[in-house]
Amino acid sequence: MGRYVVRRLLQMIPVFIGATLLIFLMVNVMGDPIAGLCGDRECDPATAAQLRHEFGLDQPVWRQYLTYMGNVFTGDFGTAFNGQPVTELMGTAFPVTIRLTVVAILFEIVVGIVLGVVTGLRRGRPVDTGVLLLTLVVISVPTFVTGLLLQLLLGVKWGWIDPAVSSEAPFGELIVPGLVLASVSLAYVTRLTRTSIAENRRSDYVRTAIAKGLPRHRVITRHLLRNSLIPVVTFIGTDIGALMGGAIVTERIFNIHGVGYQLYQGILRQNTQTVVGFVTVLVLVFLVANLVVDLLYAVLDPRIRYA
Amino acid sequence: MPEPQQEPYEPERAVAGTGMGGTMDLGTSEAATLEQPPGPDGTDPRDKPRSLWTDAWHDLRRNPVFIISALVILFLVVISLWPSLIASGSPLKCDLAKAQEGSQPGHPFGFNGQGCDVYTRTVYGARTSVAVGILATLGVAVLGSVLGGLAGFFGGAGDAVLSRITDVFFAIPVVLGGLVLLSVITSNTVWPVIGFIVLLGWPQISRIARGSVITAKQNDYVQAARALGASNSRLLLRHIAPNAIAPVIVVATIALGTYISLEATLSFLGVGLKPPSVSWGIDISAAAPYVRNAPHALLWPSGALAITVLAFIMLGDAVRDALDPKLR
Amino acid sequence: MLLEVRDLHVEFHTRDGVARAVNGVSYGVDAGETLAVLGESGSGKSVTAQTVMGILDVPPGRITAGEILFEGRDLLKLKEEERRKVRGAEMAMIFQDALSALNPVLTVGAQLAEMFTVHRGMSRKDAHARAVELMDRVRIPAARERVRQYPHQFSGGMRQRIMIAMAMALEPKLIIADEPTTALDVTVQAQVMDLLAELQRELRMGLILITHDLGVVADVADRIAVMYAGRIVETAPVHDIYKAPAHPYTRGLLESIPRLDQKGQELYAIKGLPPNLTRIPPGCAFHPRCPMAQDVCRTDVPPLYDVTESGAERGSACHFWRECLHA
Repeated sequence: MGRYVVRRLLQMIPVFIGATLLIFLMVNVMGDPIAGLCGDRECDPATAAQLRHEFGLDQPVWRQYLTYMGNVFTGDFGTAFNGQPVTELMGTAFPVTIRLTVVAILFEIVVGIVLGVVTGLRRGRPVDTGVLLLTLVVISVPTFVTGLLLQLLLGVKWGWIDPAVSSEAPFGELIVPGLVLASVSLAYVTRLTRTSIAENRRSDYVRTAIAKGLPRHRVITRHLLRNSLIPVVTFIGTDIGALMGGAIVTERIFNIHGVGYQLYQGILRQNTQTVVGFVTVLVLVFLVANLVVDLLYAVLDPRIRYA
Repeated sequence: MPEPQQEPYEPERAVAGTGMGGTMDLGTSEAATLEQPPGPDGTDPRDKPRSLWTDAWHDLRRNPVFIISALVILFLVVISLWPSLIASGSPLKCDLAKAQEGSQPGHPFGFNGQGCDVYTRTVYGARTSVAVGILATLGVAVLGSVLGGLAGFFGGAGDAVLSRITDVFFAIPVVLGGLVLLSVITSNTVWPVIGFIVLLGWPQISRIARGSVITAKQNDYVQAARALGASNSRLLLRHIAPNAIAPVIVVATIALGTYISLEATLSFLGVGLKPPSVSWGIDISAAAPYVRNAPHALLWPSGALAITVLAFIMLGDAVRDALDPKLR
Repeated sequence: MLLEVRDLHVEFHTRDGVARAVNGVSYGVDAGETLAVLGESGSGKSVTAQTVMGILDVPPGRITAGEILFEGRDLLKLKEEERRKVRGAEMAMIFQDALSALNPVLTVGAQLAEMFTVHRGMSRKDAHARAVELMDRVRIPAARERVRQYPHQFSGGMRQRIMIAMAMALEPKLIIADEPTTALDVTVQAQVMDLLAELQRELRMGLILITHDLGVVADVADRIAVMYAGRIVETAPVHDIYKAPAHPYTRGLLESIPRLDQKGQELYAIKGLPPNLTRIPPGCAFHPRCPMAQDVCRTDVPPLYDVTESGAERGSACHFWRECLHA
């Protein structure tokens, strides 16, 4: 097990370097990092050249990348457009987005798995067909449309919620945005659980469990669920990274000042340091979540553990 | 946006001529290589195993979901090519005096915040979505299946490098990558968006193609063809590709829907297409601030977008069900 | 009779129509007796067993007629909860492929102990101790340690021993073994079969042994029932059937066994394929493949004739059983 963890950690390194380098290149090659620094005016050439030198932008890109990564590992993520250190922005933004993601994951686990189990056990019945159609609709409607519609209905028309989330963003205000963020994944979790349950239901070991004379609820909880949820847990785990990165749309609709908001501002103002910094952390979160999923997989499935 | 979860797929079914009850190993593999299994004497011709594709087509023709989604897609393609068939005006002709007005004769969907006719704009918006969806999917499918297929077939260092590269792309959130890359582009055509989707989309197809080529490669009839001295290109094109392509087609069809949704999302965020281009994403984004007074300007393009994406995803779903024997 | 199946009919609804898998099967087993049910795949032997056991998937399966009398009670009339209490405790089943029949994510100990906690209400600790005893009994070395291992950590033969242990756990009156040795190496097959036979003798259980392997049958079975297209075509004491089969299908099966004393001769094979269960031929289902077929075979379904000649009861569903028996 220890060796397995080490191997997975080592495999993460090239992916981390590749992903951050890719983003670094995109930001630096495609946009002019200086443009954002002089506010809304055009920089005069002399100031621009001085700024370039100051930030090491006259160096080759690979040197810039190395310097940046070096700084990152000492905890220096650079400075945002308003002169604040990027780490300070992260300190306010990440807790908000993490709360939002937690709400979304809870929806996936509770609603997605329950619907998946119910439909998987009643395959072909009206409940199954209905839920299946609903998941297709949810997957098809883009998140920003779902978000705008829910905001319109619950926030504007019926007044159940505040259309915009306050800057503290407590859990209570994040329920609807969390549902919006989770919506597409929720539908995938439902479908995945359903397929998995329906497939394992016909498996030999479930037949054995029935032949042993176990009561139905025990067959389902102890034999069927445990096996069927392995791929679902994997999906939800890898989804953590995707949700945090995808929160950009939801945060924009509900005006939540989280990671997506800061990134959006950073991109609009072409502030490379903010963008690269946040993306680096997001990539790390994604990789760590994947690692945890792999380890969890080994815990859930003994065939992997001893392989 | 999360990638669509690939459901388990069994390419073994794709082997023509299995289950013929041949008594000797050589007999079965030979029949399979010839791709025309001789029917054993005295059996009902209906017992003959149909090929994967004719079997799937047989299923699809009777599947109402497939028929409805195919008709919707056909309609969308037609109005993308000739929008004037059902909308006479110009999507760019706007009259600020009529801004936010509701439905009225000749303007069934009312007017948006800039006083443009919502019906005309919704009809013309189909062109962008369909063009982005189809072209991006073609690009992704070709690039992904060629790279993934070659990596899976030849293996070795190239395969290892490609696998790491796909890992890298999977680690970057798609919408975020779009924001970063497209924010600096000022072009008003669909090409930057298509290019971006191809750039970030190919690893998904490449992974699928690689997996199914590796599975197909291990089939007995491929081994037999190799033993008989078939060249690599013949093996790949004649024996492996026809059997490995099914999962790629399924995933690509479903992905087409998600690409349309992605274009709209990027346009909504202001980095996809920009005005004066006509796109549902742009219109939805523009309508959002006026949603209290003119919800129709938001609802019509949203509905059109949802139906379009739904049609492609349902089509992909139906094709998958037809090609995946496990779910029967 | 411990178990008596009477005129059982089971059908499946498939995409190609109704598959009539079991068409009026009747057989019985006494305590301590071994009945071998023989037939090709698709002959209905496994479906009959699953119906007896009560693990048939309904739908797509459907029991359209028949009775299953177990110690006089008709199991088909029991409520599901009563039926469940019979399963595992009074009758148990051993499956062909132990690797897929055992739950991959639970230890074998947990899967064995479950029998005692669920049916006997034992504490987990006692049940665990019983699981170790059971593994000892089926001669798995180092049972105390291996009880904590998972199915994939055992060899094929050991896994099948665990399956047997699980079936024996509550000392049921009837065991149904569905091709218990087919998935095993030839060298292990005999050991597993011997173990099964030994435990059966010890506990005086009825055993229904489902197989397509005539070699296995000769050693352990008392009676044989040969099935074809969902019907029993011949039933007889094991020695009679080997001496002189009373049905051309049984004859075909026996002649297709390679024998040392006929080395060099061409091996016999029954021509054609088993029938499609959605389109069973009219008359005798075997007639398209039968070397003795006459016109009457194409039109009239043969009943199971009483062909007892001396001593033990035997039956054959062939219009020409006399010719066959004395050929």
